[in-house]
Amino acid sequence: MEELIKDLLFGLIGTPIIAAVVMLFIREGKIRNILTYAFAAIIAIGSIILVATNIGATYKEIAVPDITLEITHFLGIALSVVIAGVIIGFGIKYKNKFAIILAVIQLLASLYVEIFIEGGAAPKSTSCLYIDSLTVLMVFIIGVIGTGIIVYALGYMTDHNKHLAPEETDRSNNFFALMFLFLSAMFIIVFSNNMIWMFAGWEVTTLCSFLLIGYTKTDEAIKNSFRQINMNLLGGIAFAAAMFLSATQLQTLEFNTFVTTGLTSQALISLPACLFAFAAITKAAQMPFQSWLLGAMVAPTPTSALLHSSTMVKAGVFLLIKLSPIFFTCIAPQLMVMLVGGVSFLLCSFMAISQTNAKRVLAYSTIANLGLITACAGVGSPEAIWAAMFLMLFHACAKSLLFLCVGTAEHHIGSRDIEDMDGLFRRMPILARFMMVGMMAMFIAPFGMLISKWAALVSFIDSGQIVLILILAFGSAATFMFWAKWLGKLAGIVAHEKNIEKTVHTSEWIGQMVMVVLVILGILAMPVISEAIIMPYILDVFSAFGQYGIYYVVSLQYVGMSNLFISLISASVMVLVLFIGSGKANKKNQADIYLAGAGINSEKRQYLGSLQTKTEATSRNMYLDKYFGEKRITPIGNTVNIIIMIASALFAVLSCMGMM
Amino acid sequence: MENLISESLTADLLIVVWTIVASVIFAIIAPIVGCLFAGIDRKISARMQGRVGPPILQPYYDFRKLMSKEKSATNGSEGTYLTFALIFVFIAGGVFIQGGNILLSIFIVTLASLLFIMAAYSSRSPYAEVGASREILQVMAYEPIIMLFGVGVYFVGQSFNVGDLFMLPQPIIIFLIPVFVCFVIALIVKFRKSPFDISMSHHAHQEIVRGMTTEMSGPNLAKVEIMHWSENFLFIGWILVFFISANPVSIIIGIIVAILVYLLMIWIDNNFARVKWQSCVKWLWILGLVVCGANFIVLMVL
Repeated sequence: MEELIKDLLFGLIGTPIIAAVVMLFIREGKIRNILTYAFAAIIAIGSIILVATNIGATYKEIAVPDITLEITHFLGIALSVVIAGVIIGFGIKYKNKFAIILAVIQLLASLYVEIFIEGGAAPKSTSCLYIDSLTVLMVFIIGVIGTGIIVYALGYMTDHNKHLAPEETDRSNNFFALMFLFLSAMFIIVFSNNMIWMFAGWEVTTLCSFLLIGYTKTDEAIKNSFRQINMNLLGGIAFAAAMFLSATQLQTLEFNTFVTTGLTSQALISLPACLFAFAAITKAAQMPFQSWLLGAMVAPTPTSALLHSSTMVKAGVFLLIKLSPIFFTCIAPQLMVMLVGGVSFLLCSFMAISQTNAKRVLAYSTIANLGLITACAGVGSPEAIWAAMFLMLFHACAKSLLFLCVGTAEHHIGSRDIEDMDGLFRRMPILARFMMVGMMAMFIAPFGMLISKWAALVSFIDSGQIVLILILAFGSAATFMFWAKWLGKLAGIVAHEKNIEKTVHTSEWIGQMVMVVLVILGILAMPVISEAIIMPYILDVFSAFGQYGIYYVVSLQYVGMSNLFISLISASVMVLVLFIGSGKANKKNQADIYLAGAGINSEKRQYLGSLQTKTEATSRNMYLDKYFGEKRITPIGNTVNIIIMIASALFAVLSCMGMM
Repeated sequence: MENLISESLTADLLIVVWTIVASVIFAIIAPIVGCLFAGIDRKISARMQGRVGPPILQPYYDFRKLMSKEKSATNGSEGTYLTFALIFVFIAGGVFIQGGNILLSIFIVTLASLLFIMAAYSSRSPYAEVGASREILQVMAYEPIIMLFGVGVYFVGQSFNVGDLFMLPQPIIIFLIPVFVCFVIALIVKFRKSPFDISMSHHAHQEIVRGMTTEMSGPNLAKVEIMHWSENFLFIGWILVFFISANPVSIIIGIIVAILVYLLMIWIDNNFARVKWQSCVKWLWILGLVVCGANFIVLMVL
């Protein structure tokens, strides 16, 4: 058993790397397709086996041979140099001084920790890999959703390449290589107990997304990719600083020890915990760092799907959830994480209302939901962690579905503007329904996301966080607004529109089907997931609290099985409505709509006005830019969050000094 | 241990069965009572305006006439959306009268509203779309207060389950008067009463073309009517939640208060002109944020 897990672990980290190398050298389309399918299947199956064999897993270290440790030590150093080298190289090429400076600082900091601290101030870490139930959940998200997106990308990139200018070469082999490498880096992050290893994975994800965002090499893409790298390098530097503090003050470079020590020596852990949280907040694109994720929209859609749902930003919230027992007991980092998350949730939900660009709406919704997860992790109570883990899972499924749908729609209607999706219900019937399922899964009862929000609400009430309760109430109302109006646009029915979805690639349908099944299965399996994965993790983590923790966990039954069953029934009904009940042609008694004059063409909404002029009625959704516009809200959020972070950092420093 | 799990599972499944039964019962009672309320509403409104008014059963006659009309619609989906909106209102009612979770009931009513909105959008009538957009704004306006009402129930009663409130020594209203006031104001929107009848108004003088239901006719419009009646019945039930306790007297007081609130709504409806949506969102949000927020802060401190 132990051996199997170890093999799977190395397999999951190694296979995507092999896949990436293979992809680099294959330019022939057909062979690439077959190989991509094969690698994706191997990774997905491997992940599922790992999940299945580790149901209810408690924290377990995976022994690594000494020789591997030696090799990885040097590999780690080499990797840091390579990453910094690549960034500096691009920095010089595109004349971005800031990136070069940050890369140099980060390289020096990480080399210092890797060479002098490990084995110096802190003993050389012997427990490097581990597995627990949180890892299991992450493996599912990365391995199944991530590969689903890669399969989707096969069809998408074929269409994407059609739009290439003639002088451009097809670089999609690089694209696929990066996507696979991304998965490997994510696996390293979730499997590593050794901070240095995790940091290596962390930096590889930063680099991969830098290259993926800049993939199209347009001016905008380059600009946005540098914005991403600069912000995430700041996070990386904070990560390195946190490692340094952890090693010098707590004498450990292992996450597990870091968290357990932290529970007893709160004053010492405040500052490193704040720094780790800062790194996670940059990665999870919380305000004021949201602009890198918004900028990432210039990349091909599979990239956005990957960044938003199964990788990158999820690494940020993963780290926060991992640290949440510390937040539960330690006030400075708690305030920082809770409030930064809460503010991001509220304000990004507001800003989503003002966007007409579908991908930007999705991006703001991602930042908002990550904000909620961040806030939950900050609260850190068992209920809050329960909610955070479910939010993370459901968000991954629903958001990737939505991105995949928008990507396909964009290729077929030639626009990503929500107003242009008017009547998609007839033009792309299956796709529109998939999209509607995805949207409903994001915001309305009885789907999983809302039930998790509900759990979040309960955890906020139980821990007396009134600010967060209010934030959740108003943020959810805004959420209703921006999803409902988009949903309405899709639902418009123009009886005789041509069906234009016949040319959607099979691989795109496969990717979307996987997500739809996950969205629906997710709610079906919610009680099972809760018992098999989430509760074991919480019990495991909170056993450190002794009796108190156990008592806390028992009170977790608030959402209640019977309510889940009722939700399940309602959700199934809802899906049936979309797929079976609606869209039938109304052959008998087809009525024309009322327009303020003699109707000419009901479908085009044309009518003869009072002066016998042909008039076309148009209507747009409300975007309320005056109230919820980016220009108005972004500065508020950025300022508030920067103040919160500075204040908590000062608080942490002071409590640290008080201890010394 | 396993026994315990299977036992609780049976209990849970039993609750589900009861909820379904309760939904059916609700589906029978709510439209009837709601229809009577609507009749009384029209009678009182007429008296306030110095008219005699229609017979109390007039809404029912209207309904029968709508049902007898020929089926005609701009598309086939509209009817489906409305049917399921109605079904979800019944389920929400079932959850509620079974003594179930108040938040679940609230969320499922929201789902019904969403389906109604989609029905309006599906016609692609510009008037219906404007109405639907305004309906979305209305939901956004009242949703925080309705959700905070649920929070209040849990905060004071220590349970979301309406049934559990019957064990409390005193009703939750004692601690939640500010929330109650906000809740009543938010209900004006849910009852579709002036000044907040922004998405569709039953006052002919306030609207040129009738918002969301512009393209709904015959049996489809009849479904909207039943849905409206059933929702009203459910909302009056929600008012009662504030007054439930172990003491039956408090429930009687609750019924009296609920009736008074309904009369107050009719009075407000007849005396205020429709406001702009901006005012609706602004005032409901300020109330939710300041008044409900203050209520909770005071409760926390105590």
